[in-house]
Amino acid sequence: MANAHSSDTAHHDDHHDEPAKGIKRWLFATNHKDIGTMYLVFSLIMFFIGGAMAMVIRAELFQPGLQLVDPVFFNQMTTNHALIMIFGAVMPAFVGLANWMIPLQIGAPDMALPRMNNFSFWILPFAFTLLLSTLFVPGGMAAGGWTLYPPLSLQTGDSFPMLIFAIHMMGISSIMGAINVIVTIMNMRAPGMNLLKMPLFTWSWLITAYLLIAVMPVLAGAVTMLLTDHFFKTSFFNAAGGGDPVMFEHIFWFFGHPEVYIMILPAFGIISEILPTFSRKPLFGATSMIYAIASIAFLSFIVWGHHMFADGMPVAAQLFYMMSTMLIAVPTGVKVFNWTATMWRGSLSFEPPMLFAIAFLFLFSIGGFSGLMLAIVPADFQYNQTYFVVAHFHYVLVPGAIFGIMAGVYYWLPKWTGHMYSMGLAKTHFWLSAIFVNVLFFPQHFLGLAGMPRRIPDYAVQFTDWNMVSSIGGFAFGLSQILFAVVIIQCARGGKKATAVVWEGTHPTGLEWTLPSPAPYHSFTTAPEVR
Amino acid sequence: MSADQTVVSGESVRRRIRNGALGLACVAIAFYLGFIALLVFRSHY
Ligand code: HEM
Ligand SMILES: [Cu+2]
Repeated sequence: MANAHSSDTAHHDDHHDEPAKGIKRWLFATNHKDIGTMYLVFSLIMFFIGGAMAMVIRAELFQPGLQLVDPVFFNQMTTNHALIMIFGAVMPAFVGLANWMIPLQIGAPDMALPRMNNFSFWILPFAFTLLLSTLFVPGGMAAGGWTLYPPLSLQTGDSFPMLIFAIHMMGISSIMGAINVIVTIMNMRAPGMNLLKMPLFTWSWLITAYLLIAVMPVLAGAVTMLLTDHFFKTSFFNAAGGGDPVMFEHIFWFFGHPEVYIMILPAFGIISEILPTFSRKPLFGATSMIYAIASIAFLSFIVWGHHMFADGMPVAAQLFYMMSTMLIAVPTGVKVFNWTATMWRGSLSFEPPMLFAIAFLFLFSIGGFSGLMLAIVPADFQYNQTYFVVAHFHYVLVPGAIFGIMAGVYYWLPKWTGHMYSMGLAKTHFWLSAIFVNVLFFPQHFLGLAGMPRRIPDYAVQFTDWNMVSSIGGFAFGLSQILFAVVIIQCARGGKKATAVVWEGTHPTGLEWTLPSPAPYHSFTTAPEVR
Repeated sequence: MSADQTVVSGESVRRRIRNGALGLACVAIAFYLGFIALLVFRSHY
């Protein structure tokens, strides 16, 4: 695709050189760096709110019997913990990183549609205020699980329409964000930045954006139909009226499985940037990495049935979903191989981004393996709805997606603030997180295999020991995250000056390293030439 | 969703950005309405 001519991208007379003062800077923000910052701060706040809910869950599960909260409130916590972490913490964090880094990596002056960008962000505080305010309405928050299966979800109290509206807003925000990412990458690359030269983080986001545009509307459609079933006497999911509740599950998981890849592909991109830097070697098999991400994205559309094996389905369908799911192991294997080969005989150093990237490599793989176990139909009949599933998805999401985000923040933070952060504190944050994430989630494999069901506030006494271990891991993991906030705040306020390349081993695939640190408020107003 | 808001001043790039954004928005709306339509026709009433 042809690139923008430098003279076209050079002017932007309607923009000031200095940020606006006070609240207006943020309210009317169109600068990709300001919007990126707002997304990241928002995401961190949601991470702590969602985390507080997780602490309630682990406190209740510390011992068998009902200890602290009543069962309905417990279910409200599991449901909203998941919704907030997925839509409020992980996804906005990646959009924040996209806002900050995509224009910097491809040499663009900003995102292609800056005002739409402002709107995408500002929808979110409204959506989540609405969602959180359901805590105070009669009947409380939604408690039927983040998967919203009817008929259970239709029994939600007054908060039901608020929940649906909040989900619609999150969907609109994500779709607009994704459109912005695609048109930016397709039209705003600096001359010479052809697609195969493009940094892996930007590539992973290009593919993720297509996934978002394909599946967020499907979720929106599903919840719209829940809404009409609830208020307008339709029977989309009501068997008595000619509908089919299982159909909801099909639609939900047609969204849901690509959604889990939406939460991991940008992390793949980040890891692919960090490992070469701290190995002082180019990424091994860079082009095959792009094909691997694209294959994973394609396959993610045809595997959704693995969430529904226990619903009952024709054997041919079971085999199809089992085989297609296992097929994803092939491109995933390519990626893990390439990452390992990148480090092979590299001159490794272990700064915080690298530590998180290496932990990602090991621990994400554990989650991948438990995923493969769950993909085996007869095995899934045993594991389905147990803590084994909880262990699986927390391994891919916490030391997977969230460690990926943290690795990215620790990698680019000096580029954003112009300061180095405290390596000591960041490494302490890493070691505490890496140890306690395993104390928290590894025992859940044993609990699941022994038959402990998920989404319950009470359990049989034989599960006590591992639950106590898991809860202790949970409290420690949660507390450790305060360090993350401390490192970031300290770094924003000052510290040793960062150089332009920041890291000694920076392998300049992305143009961000050609800019000074902090990156100026307006960057690449004249498009750079890429050779 | 006018391309007026972009920092790009080249006419052809602005047009591509606008058309790209509108095209993708149409895809999103098609998925939304398409799935609802699918279920309307699939219900046995
Ligand atoms: C290595 C490839 C993967 C395979 C083979 C796989 C397989 C599976 C299977 C079969 C289930 C259904 C288990 C059940 O409910 O009985 C499942 C659940 C789940 N997976 Fe994965 N998975 C993989 C990767 C991922 C990734 C990368 C993520 C997210 C980043 C993820 C997130 C989830 C979530 C959130 C659930 C549970 C959804 C729920 O029921 O609430 N998985 N996975
Ligand atoms: Cu899945």
